[in-house]
Amino acid sequence: MKIVKSFVQIGYLYIILFIGNSIARLLHLPIPGSIIGLILLFLMLQFHLIKLEWIELGAGLLLGELLLFFIPSAIGIIDYDALFGIQGVKVILVISVSAFVVMLVTGYTAQWLERKKGDAA
Amino acid sequence: MNIVIAVISLLGTIAIFYACKALYQKFSKEWLTPILISPLVIILLLLVTGTSYESYNAGADILSNLLGPATVAFAVPIYKNFDLLKKHAFEIVLSIAIGSAVAIASSFIIALVVGLNDELVHSLVPRSVTTPIAMDISNMIGGSPTLTAVFVMTTGILASLLAPIVMRICRFQKPSARGLMLGMGAHGTGTSKAFELGELEGTFASLAMIVAALISIVLSATFFPVLEHFVMNILLPSW
Repeated sequence: MKIVKSFVQIGYLYIILFIGNSIARLLHLPIPGSIIGLILLFLMLQFHLIKLEWIELGAGLLLGELLLFFIPSAIGIIDYDALFGIQGVKVILVISVSAFVVMLVTGYTAQWLERKKGDAA
Repeated sequence: MNIVIAVISLLGTIAIFYACKALYQKFSKEWLTPILISPLVIILLLLVTGTSYESYNAGADILSNLLGPATVAFAVPIYKNFDLLKKHAFEIVLSIAIGSAVAIASSFIIALVVGLNDELVHSLVPRSVTTPIAMDISNMIGGSPTLTAVFVMTTGILASLLAPIVMRICRFQKPSARGLMLGMGAHGTGTSKAFELGELEGTFASLAMIVAALISIVLSATFFPVLEHFVMNILLPSW
């Protein structure tokens, strides 16, 4: 029963996504429909236009299994033969070093700002 | 025949993913993370059986499609923890703005230093944001959107592997620092990893991912052209 309910709720999320996509297309926004859908859903929850129970199970299921949805696009790499040689090694180097620095800087900035505020949370 | 391959691809991907997940939970080794092992296993299977990505993706595409409603679903943890996020609004926006600028600048400069070609360099610049936005930015600055999608995924995998090391070296204890760093550094995969650490970490990561996407759109249209002009016309010629 719970799984049926989750699937129906994922259907609701698809409807919101569809509205988000339509808004992005009609207004020629540079923001993807999914992000507009996210903002819409947030506003609808915040202004009590919809109840959390209506979508909570479906949202929980999707967010819990998020990694699975990334797998097919990761496999897209097999279409780029050029990336299996020295180019690929360079790309991995660029991404690793850059990602490491980005996480370090972001984490430090967040921690430093929080300490400055003297916040115990 | 095609429909058979599509069905096998879909069910096989799900089965392999959960098998990898079970393995990861049993041995709890970072490098066993399903986001690294399952693509490797599937790529190997495709190569061995001589199946093209196109016919594989005809079935597995349903999973990528679910990323759409999943992105919408991020509204739920944000709504539930909105008071906390409001309290931290300043830290979130400032650290993500700095993180986004560092992501753009470091990807660009390191890619130039190691001597990658122009298309690869511009496709690498937007790699730190969620796929649909990264592809748009790539198009805008002259990269290849499909290559960018691959780099976004690679970023998600590599950054998730590096994240525990960064957290250990820097002793990031607070849920805000851990979540923001994961959402900024590894977008969706980082957010998923942050939810493994805790609901708070996951919420900060979700918000970091969204804020990073919005800020990166702005930075790609303003900061990046200036940086590119400076590096290509002023810094490089004077070397």
